[in-house]
Amino acid sequence: MGNLRSLVVKEIKELVRDPKILLGVVLMPLIMYPIMGSAMSISQQSMMRAMASASFAVYNEDEGVVVDTFLEYVYTNNTVHTIEAGSLEEAIMAFQETNASTLLYVREGYSENVTQGVKANLKLYANLKSLSIVETESPNAVSGLINLYSYYLSISKIEGYIAETGGAAEPDAIRSPIRTTSASIIKGNVLEVSPSAIFSLVMNQSITLPMMTMLTLVFAIQMAATSIALEKEEKTLETLMTLPVGRMTILGGKLAGSIVVSIFGALASMLGFGYYMNSAFAFAPEMTSMTTEGFSLGLKPFGVALVGINIFITLVSALALAICLSVFSDSVRGAQSLTGVLFIPIFIPALILMFSDITMLPETVRWILLAIPYTHSILASKAAFLGNYSAAIGNIAYITAFTVVVLYIAARIFSTERILTSRFTLDGLRNLLKRR
Amino acid sequence: MDNAIEVEDLVKNFGRVEALKGASFSVRDREVYGIIGPNGAGKTTTLRILSTLISPTSGVAKVFGVDVVKEPVKAREMISYLPEEAGAYQNLSGHEYLEFMAEFYDNGSMSIEDLLGEAKHISGLEERLDDRIKGYSKGMKRRLLLARALMMRPKLAILDEPTSGLDVLHAVHVRQTIRDYVDKQGVTTLISSHNMLEVEYLCHRVALIDEGVIVAEGSPSELKDKFSAENLEEAFMEATRLG
Repeated sequence: MGNLRSLVVKEIKELVRDPKILLGVVLMPLIMYPIMGSAMSISQQSMMRAMASASFAVYNEDEGVVVDTFLEYVYTNNTVHTIEAGSLEEAIMAFQETNASTLLYVREGYSENVTQGVKANLKLYANLKSLSIVETESPNAVSGLINLYSYYLSISKIEGYIAETGGAAEPDAIRSPIRTTSASIIKGNVLEVSPSAIFSLVMNQSITLPMMTMLTLVFAIQMAATSIALEKEEKTLETLMTLPVGRMTILGGKLAGSIVVSIFGALASMLGFGYYMNSAFAFAPEMTSMTTEGFSLGLKPFGVALVGINIFITLVSALALAICLSVFSDSVRGAQSLTGVLFIPIFIPALILMFSDITMLPETVRWILLAIPYTHSILASKAAFLGNYSAAIGNIAYITAFTVVVLYIAARIFSTERILTSRFTLDGLRNLLKRR
Repeated sequence: MDNAIEVEDLVKNFGRVEALKGASFSVRDREVYGIIGPNGAGKTTTLRILSTLISPTSGVAKVFGVDVVKEPVKAREMISYLPEEAGAYQNLSGHEYLEFMAEFYDNGSMSIEDLLGEAKHISGLEERLDDRIKGYSKGMKRRLLLARALMMRPKLAILDEPTSGLDVLHAVHVRQTIRDYVDKQGVTTLISSHNMLEVEYLCHRVALIDEGVIVAEGSPSELKDKFSAENLEEAFMEATRLG
C-alpha cells in the first residue's frame, strides 16, 4: 500500500508540475471559460445598450390627420430623426447621413387607408453599415413598436364596430378568436408547463451530461498517454520496472495518479463552465435559474451514486485503454496522436445523444452506437437523471465488463516486456499486413 | 555457495534478429564483473534479461539462485539496475527523486533517512539535490542515478555503460565512486561497457562478447596473457579474430 501511495504521489507531482498539463488541463479551463463568458457578457451588454439607445428616422409623405396620432406615438420615448425630403430617394440619401439604423417610411395615403378600413402600408429600410447584430435587429425593434400600435388600433376599430352594431363581444376575442394553452404529462403527473419549456430545460441537462463526460474522458486519456509516454521519453520506465514492486502496483499507481489529475481537470472545467454560463447568460436569468425539481426530474441520492460509479468506471476504462495504446509510442506527441483515435468512439455517441434519443435512431445506427462502450456511459447518466435506475445499472454493467477486459489487456502488457519493446511504426504495420 | 549470477545458454531473438546466441557465464559473490563488446554485441540484452525487464527466448538466468524468469519480483528485491540511457523525473527535485526511490527499499535494514544519507554521499551533489532535475547537466544526472542505484546496498548492482557520454571529470567521479563503494560495501557488480580501459580499471573478471556469444572470459591480466595483448582492446580484437 505504501508503494502504491509513493507511485501515486510521484505521478501527481510529475503531471501537475508539467507546465503543459497544468496549463492545458487545470488552468486553461479556469481561465478560458470565464474569459469567454465575460467576453460574451460584455458583447451582449453592449449590444443591449446599443439596442436600447438605437435611434431611427421617419420620412412621412402622408398629409392626413390620422398619421399624426401614429407619429406622436412613435416620437414618444424614442430618439427619432425626422427626414425632410422631396422624394423617397432624397430621403434615403438623407437617412444615410444620420446615425439612425432604420428608416420608417410612411407612404402617402396612410391616413386615408386607415380611415377607410384598408390596410395601410409602412416600409422599413435598414442601413447595414457594419453588419452587426444591433443593425440587423434594429428594424425588429421598430416593427415591435408598430405591431403594438397596430394591435391597439385594431382593438379600437373593433370597439367602434361593436358600438355601431350594439353587440356585446370582446374586441380581443374577435381579433383572436381561438386561444391554445399547453400542459405536459411526466411520469403520470400533469404539469401546467409547455412541453417546449420542459424540452429546453432537459436539453440543457442532456447536453451538459454528455459534454462533462466527454471532457473528463478527454482529460483522462491525455493524462494517461502523457504519463506512460513521459516515462519512455525521459527514459525512466526501465528503472521503474526494475523496482521491487509488482507490475500491477505500478499500473495501479499510473491509473490512480491520472484519475486524480483528470478529476481536477474536470472540476476545473465544471467550475470554469459554470462561471461561463452564469456570466454569458447573465442578461437572461431565466436560463440559469430554471430547475428540474418542479418537473419530478433530476438526480436523487441513488441516481447521484450511480452517476458517480458510472463516471469512475468510464474513467478507469479510458485510462487503461489510453495506457494500452500509448505503450506503442516512444514520445508524448506520438502517444497523444495514437490515443487521439479514442476520441472518435467518445465524441460520436456524445454528439449524437446530445440531440437525439437512442430509441429514435435507425436500427443499424442504434446497434453500432450500443456496441460502443462510451455510449453506455452517457445512457447511464441520462437514465439516472430520469430515475430509470435499472436501465442505468444495465449500462454500467456493460461499461464495467468492457473495463475489466481493457484492464486485463493493460495488465498483460505491463507484466511482459511488451511495455518496453512494443512500437507502432508504419514499417511494422506494413510487415504485419504482408505476413497476413 | 551459489554464484551471484548464473547464465546458461542464453538466447534472445527480437523477431528475426538474434541478439544473444547462447551466452553462458557466471559471476561470483562480491565480484565486479565486466561484459565488454562493441555496439549490438548483446551486452544490454543480457543485462536487461538479468534485470527482469525482458525474457530470454531460451536458456537460464539466475541471480543468487533465483530464476529471473520464474520469480522476477524476488529477483528484483536483490538487484539494482542502472540503464545506459536512464533518465530521472524532470519535474522532481533530486531529493524528491531519491526519496521516491528510497520508499521502495525501506525494509527495516535501512531507513529512508539512512538511504537518503547514503545517496547524498554517493552523488556528491549536496545542495543541488534541492533543485529540479530538469536543470541538471548530464554528468549530474548520472551521479544522481548512480546514487539511486547504489544507495540501498543491493546484493547485485547491474550498471549498463555507467560513464557513457560523460565528460572526463564526471566519468572519473562515477568510476571512482563505483570502485570505492563496491569494494567497501561488498556489492556484487555487473558492468557493461565498450570502454576497455574502464573495465580494466574496475573489474575483477571480464567476459568478451561479440555477436551474441561470449568469446573469452577471465581476469584482465589473464585475457591479456592469453591473447598476448598489451591491453584489453587488443585482447578483444584477437579473441574476435580467432573466434
